[in-house]
Order: sequence, then structure tokens, then C-alpha cells
Amino acid sequence: MVSMRFSIYRYDPDKDSQPYMKDYEIDGLETDMMLLDALKMIKAQDESLSFRHSCGEGVCGSDAVNINGSNGLACITPLSSLKTPVEVRPLPGQPVIRDLVVDMSQFYKQYRAVKPYLVVKDPMPEVEFRQSPEEREELDGLYECILCGCCSTACPSFWWNPDKFLGPAALLQACRFLSDSRDQATEERLDDLEDAYKLFRCHTIMNCAQVCPKGLNPTEAIGKIKQKMTKQLI
Amino acid sequence: MSRRASGLRAWLLQRISAIYIALFGLFFLFTMLLAAPESYQDWQRWIARPLMSLSMVIFFIALVTHAWVGIRDVIMDYVSTLSIRLLLLSLIGVILLGSLSAAIMALLSVR
Repeated sequence: MVSMRFSIYRYDPDKDSQPYMKDYEIDGLETDMMLLDALKMIKAQDESLSFRHSCGEGVCGSDAVNINGSNGLACITPLSSLKTPVEVRPLPGQPVIRDLVVDMSQFYKQYRAVKPYLVVKDPMPEVEFRQSPEEREELDGLYECILCGCCSTACPSFWWNPDKFLGPAALLQACRFLSDSRDQATEERLDDLEDAYKLFRCHTIMNCAQVCPKGLNPTEAIGKIKQKMTKQLI
Repeated sequence: MSRRASGLRAWLLQRISAIYIALFGLFFLFTMLLAAPESYQDWQRWIARPLMSLSMVIFFIALVTHAWVGIRDVIMDYVSTLSIRLLLLSLIGVILLGSLSAAIMALLSVR
């Protein structure tokens, strides 16, 4: 049993004129607990605190927050890995709805913009779409994204131009469908990404790869898209 | 600049110019270290060789292109007011083109 200090970002637009940090001292924590467990205990103490969570095991991606300055999922961040007082803030650069809950509309809009689904022009076959194991392997490191938003909201380019730069999460998905042997809209997808903002605001800062809780590398995916574009040009 | 030039082409130009600047920079550094021209006349003869002046002209074009793409990137990221952005981009464009013309004229005057 240990006790830890937390400093949590609080903001209720109906009541507060300004966001502020509120300190909590929580007793009775187990050493193998995750940050989400602590947040739940804080909520038991102060039920006005709001945060999102669902699966609790790093699969749904709803409890992405900024932990001691770095984005991550509260449910898979061990308390033992954190320096105290643990500072928990909402994902940076997004409009705060309340406390740790942010408005992800912009993020989802950019995700929709890359057409995250297979586009097939041939008549639908009678049987399943076949893929060789090698073709399937092309999707590894791309399909695992859970859209938690850690990467895009850690990206300075996304902070400066969230309406025009698609952000690492959406670009990872763009790469996922560009790499799919069953997709037939490669050229349109590449043409669509070809402007000064959507893809090319990426300056390989690599915050995205550093924070991804699933260990994915959006920067590498963006590099792959640039390669595909260059090949298309030549 | 066409719409297509703003994304992929700008990025490619930045990469290609970077490679040339790095290679030429190394060549220049080693020349200066190993066989630096000793007098003003030596300098003139060294630069007046056709291959030398040509690679110098290409170097300055690469340098200005590289600087343009880089500064344009910074301005696009940090300056969101359209009028100020346009003003800054024009200013940088004039400075870069002016510098390039000055460099090329200096190289031509040696011949």
C-alpha cells in the first residue's frame, strides 16, 4: 500500500473562468496499479472530476491523457513508472469539454478525410478477396491503430494546422489503405494527399512514434507515402 | 508555382538540394584544407574554370531553393495571418532572388 500525490487539470466551462491544477493525495494504492485505477480513486473522493475510460486494457483508446508531459493511455501506464506529483492534463491542443475530456471532432474529421475503407472499382467478386501472407504482412504496424489520438495531439504540426494537416493518426491510416493489395484507389489517394498541408506539414519530429501506446510508427508510414508519391511521379 | 509544386515537388527539391549542398560543401572544405588558392589571381583562375563556375552556380541555386523551402515551411507553420504571411514570403523571395543574382553576377564577372 502506497500513497501518491497527483496534480490534475480541472476545468468546467460553466463554472470556472480559467483552468487550474488541483492536487490530490491518494492513499491505499497498490504498486501494480495503473494510472486509470488512481483516477478512479480520485473520482471516488471528488466526484466532480471527469475523464473518459472504457475497456481499461489499452484496446479502446478512450482514456488518452497527457501524463507528466507525455501523451499516453491511463489504463496501461503503471503508477510505478511515474514521478510524483503525477501531472495529468487533457490531450494538448484540443478544445477541452471538461477536465480531462477533450473534443476530438477535428481528429475524427481528419481520419474520415483519408477514406479509411477499401475502395474497389471492379465488380464485387463471388468469393472473398484473396491476399497472400506477404500482402497481408504489408499491413502490419498500420492496422493496429486504436485512434486514441495520442500521436496527433503530440504533433506540433497538428497543433499549428489541425484543420489542414491530417496528423499522424490519419496519415497512418492513409498508408494502411495505400498498402492494401485489395484497394484500387491508390492513385486517387496519393493525388488527394498531394498539397502543401495534408501530408507535407510533417517535419519528421517523431513525437508521434515516441508516444504511440501501441508502439506504432506513423513517421515511418508518412515516409512510405512520400516514397509511393515519388515513385508515382517518376 | 502550380498547385502540384507546393507539396511533393517542394519536398523533393529540398532533399535533392540538400544532397548537392552537402557534397559540394565537403568538396569545398577539402579543397580549402588541402589546396587553397593562395592569391587573388589564384582564386580567380580557380573559379573561372568552366566546371568550377558551373558547379558553383548550381550550388547557389541549390542553396537558395533549399532556403526557400525551409523558410516557407516555417512561415506556413507559424504565421497564420494571410496578409503577414504573403508579405514575409514576398520579402524572403526578393532577398533570396537578389542574393542569387548577386552571386551569379559575381561568378560571371570573373570570366
